[in-house]
Amino acid sequence: MAEPGEDSRRAGVAEWLDRRASAVFIMPAVLVILAFSIFPLLISLYLSLARFRLAPGGYELRFAGVANYKKLLLGSEQWHFLGRFGALSALDWLVVIGVVGGLGWWLARYLARGRVWLPGLAGRLVFALLVGALVVLAAATVGEGVSLGSLSTTLVYVAVGCFVQFAIGLSLALLCVQPVHGRSFFRVVFFLPLMITPVGVAYAFRMLADMSKGPIAPLWNGLGLAEFAWAADPWLARLVVVVGDSWQWIPFIFIVMLAALESQPRDTVEAAELDGAGGWQIFRDITWPSIMPVAATVMLIRVIEAFKIIDLPNVLTNGGPGTATESLTLHAFVLWRTLDLGGSAAVAYMLLFVTVVMCVSFFNLIVLPYRERQA
Amino acid sequence: MLRIGRVARRRSWMLGSAMVALGATAAGAQDKPFEGVEVNIMTFTGPQIAEPLQRRAPDFNALTGAQVNVITVPFSDLYTRLLTDWAAGTNSIDAGVFAPQWMVDYVQGGYLEDLTDRVAQDEALQTDDIAPFFREFSQQFGGRTYMITLDGDFQMVYYRKDVLDELGLEPPRTWDDYLAIAEAAHGKDMNGDGQGDYGSCISKKRSAQAYWAITSIAGAFVQSQGTDQGAFFTTDEEMAPLVDNPGFRRALEVYDQTTQYGPPDEINLDVGDTRSLFVGGRCMLTLDWGDIGTLAIDPDTSVVQDKVGAVPLPGSPEVLDRETMELVACDEQTCPHAVDGINHAPFAAFGGWSGGINAAADDQVKDAAYAFISYMSQPEQANEDVTIGRTGFNPYRLSQLEDLSLWTKAGMSEEAAKDYLGAIKASLDSPNMVLDLRIPQNQRYQQVVLDTAIARLLADELSIDETMATIRDGWNELNEELGTEEQLEAYRAALGIQ
Amino acid sequence: MSAPAGTIRVHAPQPSLLGRLFEPRALGRPAPLARILVYGGLLAWALVVLFPMYWLLVTSLKLPIDVNEGPKYLPFVDFAPSLHAWQYLLVDMRNDTLRPYLNSVITASVSTLLAVAIGSMAAYALSRIAYRPRLGSILVFVLCLAAAVLAMVALGLPWWLAATVGLALFYLVVRALGHRFRKSLGNGDILFWMISQRILPPVVTALPIYVMFQRLGLLDTHVALIVTYATVNLPIVVWLMYDFFASVPVDLEESAQIDGASRYRTFFDIVLPLARPGLAATGLLVLVLAWNEYLLALFLSSANAQTMPLLVAAQNATRGPQWWYMSVLIVLMILPVIMIALALQRFFTRGLLLGAVKG
Repeated sequence: MAEPGEDSRRAGVAEWLDRRASAVFIMPAVLVILAFSIFPLLISLYLSLARFRLAPGGYELRFAGVANYKKLLLGSEQWHFLGRFGALSALDWLVVIGVVGGLGWWLARYLARGRVWLPGLAGRLVFALLVGALVVLAAATVGEGVSLGSLSTTLVYVAVGCFVQFAIGLSLALLCVQPVHGRSFFRVVFFLPLMITPVGVAYAFRMLADMSKGPIAPLWNGLGLAEFAWAADPWLARLVVVVGDSWQWIPFIFIVMLAALESQPRDTVEAAELDGAGGWQIFRDITWPSIMPVAATVMLIRVIEAFKIIDLPNVLTNGGPGTATESLTLHAFVLWRTLDLGGSAAVAYMLLFVTVVMCVSFFNLIVLPYRERQA
Repeated sequence: MLRIGRVARRRSWMLGSAMVALGATAAGAQDKPFEGVEVNIMTFTGPQIAEPLQRRAPDFNALTGAQVNVITVPFSDLYTRLLTDWAAGTNSIDAGVFAPQWMVDYVQGGYLEDLTDRVAQDEALQTDDIAPFFREFSQQFGGRTYMITLDGDFQMVYYRKDVLDELGLEPPRTWDDYLAIAEAAHGKDMNGDGQGDYGSCISKKRSAQAYWAITSIAGAFVQSQGTDQGAFFTTDEEMAPLVDNPGFRRALEVYDQTTQYGPPDEINLDVGDTRSLFVGGRCMLTLDWGDIGTLAIDPDTSVVQDKVGAVPLPGSPEVLDRETMELVACDEQTCPHAVDGINHAPFAAFGGWSGGINAAADDQVKDAAYAFISYMSQPEQANEDVTIGRTGFNPYRLSQLEDLSLWTKAGMSEEAAKDYLGAIKASLDSPNMVLDLRIPQNQRYQQVVLDTAIARLLADELSIDETMATIRDGWNELNEELGTEEQLEAYRAALGIQ
Repeated sequence: MSAPAGTIRVHAPQPSLLGRLFEPRALGRPAPLARILVYGGLLAWALVVLFPMYWLLVTSLKLPIDVNEGPKYLPFVDFAPSLHAWQYLLVDMRNDTLRPYLNSVITASVSTLLAVAIGSMAAYALSRIAYRPRLGSILVFVLCLAAAVLAMVALGLPWWLAATVGLALFYLVVRALGHRFRKSLGNGDILFWMISQRILPPVVTALPIYVMFQRLGLLDTHVALIVTYATVNLPIVVWLMYDFFASVPVDLEESAQIDGASRYRTFFDIVLPLARPGLAATGLLVLVLAWNEYLLALFLSSANAQTMPLLVAAQNATRGPQWWYMSVLIVLMILPVIMIALALQRFFTRGLLLGAVKG
């Protein structure tokens, strides 16, 4: 028989733990994230404001203020980060004015709503400013005699890549939700690319894209392109990166959209078919609204991951030709490799800034409204 | 290019007999001095360099009881990986096989073990047999030895003898000759497959090992007064980059023009790619380290056995006058080391893979690591390894250059061996060899500034003038950041100037 | 013949051949042409997916000269397959291949277990308990943390001293001013904060995490990778499991609590078993992410804790990638993941479905 004292002590501990359950459940996650996110973020911030140097016995960090950022935005690395600028053509001006005007109107509409929430306004303002700046940047660096920087290249990967991946992923899901034989076979097969380590995918695609001994070479030569190297053309090289990235990530979108489509109630669709509605009408009026929230969520996840792309450009072309396929992460990585830690941290922070603004805006402007609309 | 297992096994019986010889002279086969000791040695991914280390590790283990783990990382990460492991105090890596160029950074941080005494007492190493250039420049810094040479690196030009004879031309002696030959041969079918082939194949891929080629070309224009004149910076207190002058401009023009006679995706070709193109018979000329000589005789990958000739790097009849920074014709004053009125400047690109030891490792581990590296460099092992293309080890010992039988045994015809070794000897004997850049954080000068600028030139993003300006500004900026005085001191120390 | 009164006669036109091609056979079954298109599209994409994998498999069986001499598609027809690459990696270099493989297995599985455990606990709590952290306290905490970091980096204080001082400062300030803080954040904000960690590009945090582990002497160990992977994947677990738990009805738990069961009991005995599909799906996703991760492993390991993706990348010899070895390694990496995925397949779609849709 246990001692009554022991029992009550044990009960006391159990009770104490139970009362603290709310904390016990959540604290491990909170602490771990604090230690591995906030803490490194602050250190990284400091690194981006310092210059790293090897010294006998180790290394030294000298505070340098915003020198690293100045170098990126205004100094000797500007061509690398932002690109080389040229004069804006008439078309460029039209696009810039159109976009800036549109943003201004959008902001004005928000203000006109009356009850303005300060953080909301601040967020929208930052978003508008960033998008405006990026459009001007794009106008100034696309064309003859000018070149994109790693910032623009990353945005190209994100925008074009995610759009293509969503289009194909959704199409595949729509195809697979039909009553076809071997549906589970296709499901498994389509999911495979996501299983391969991105580095492996990158090397596999380098093999495939080799136009002298790869499998597509005969087709390439047959088309008369034998003397033409995709790796020497900046836009073609970027395209190859997008192709590789899409191959790997379409399964993700496919699987989620398929699940969403499969969860649709059949009755509504059948009723519509009975009424004589065509396929496109059904899709537009019934299917799309019901899968929109899922689509928004899955695209948010995809966009977040897309900003981090590094393996493909690194392996396919080492960032070349020149620095045309360098993404921001690759840019930071290249700087880290030669011990320019301050510069590397500065690029990483710029990436963080752009990613946060874009993703938070995406979340607040697209995902939340769709969720609310559904609920 | 690569051999399959059976060839390696064929070699190992030769190794076995060498082992017996070694074992007999080793201090007692039963007495395993390093039983239970584990050595982590890091180098870049093979087969070059890593393969012989991995192949001989079990033999070394049988001999001494030490377990050698060869860790490989991609080449572009090797410098940083070693540095961060040692600078951060992690010390998982006990030894490394890397570039002597990087010795500067590691020695300044105090990470490399001073091997002077060990080497002095090591008779089996036969240090006198190691060619003086490598002995003095590759192994030492500031008068002390920190590394042991495993490989002799410098670049040469290789050509197809048969095609050259067909064209009725002579091997290139100047860079203009090189371009002329490339132009004449470009488009001809050189390997009988019906497809037109290329005049010149030079690896130009960014962040690979392409950035030495430009110095191979520029050296002849920029350096003429001997190794200690230096080919990267002036040696006065200005430490001005030697890139903003007509000599370097001429080199950039040559480099850019070779692309016209190359494969369409030349700017994405690694050294491995251009090598397989050349030994596959698709190139007239190539600029490379010594590997081509041994790769060309490998029957598993080469179709050009006995068709390959080698010459030291082509030179220039005009050189840079450091006073006026103008190009002047070669004469006795301007080109004291000229051969037939042409200034040659063989470039010891990279220096040659050498082994160094982590000063913070355990004493026993250090001893074991030293024994292994010395074992790899000893003639019994090294003289065999340098004849195998896959190892990536190129000749650096005088015995390797004198003894033709080593090479004929490996499959080279006597003529090819004489040609190949002759070119190497001519390069090694030259008093005007270009020493690779050896100042702190030279990686940033070459791998970042130079490599990126060249890549942008080849991508037509920059003009030649802009490229020169970019490199000059980039190097000046680095000098300022790291301290021009310190950099100059290191530069002069490496060149042996007091 | 006349129909009975009251019925509506539907007059269907006789379908032409073309019409029959386009018209659905019956409700819910698509027209023949549509079926051809659907199958065609699916097969085409299956080809696109499978061809690179086929090429990888075939390359792992090729001799170097077969790779360099141009595309050879079929074993036994275009080239003679050889097991040299497999033999080299699995027999000759056995230790150098097995070590990274084991490292990958250990780090991926342990970090997945850890992430799923911690994450589902947090997700459950967020879906059931209403938290009200005060905004003021949070700001003070971040400030104290920043001060500690500054002290460590700029003044060179040892980390434990800086951490203790920072915590003490935080405690004192909150004690003194705590009652002033009005504004609170809710569960949604906490959730958002956790999920937003995923936005952090690894390259931002890689170096400081490296420095952190270096100070702790844990570089190049399994522990470092396991903890880092668990942290990095935690947001995904929380995200997916939160939606899942939110959709589980509370009645069972409420009745259990009335009966006197503690939170822990309710969670482990009642909720978790119900959540098996979600756990399986999330676990698989996290496992795949940890198994394939490259950048952080590159920073945090060098010799002893080297994982498979690093070994794959290391096959890129600067004098030419060795495609045959690389292909073998990639195939070796895919096989276990495929097997686990097949085993968990039936959970997967349902689990993810519930997770993402209910968001």
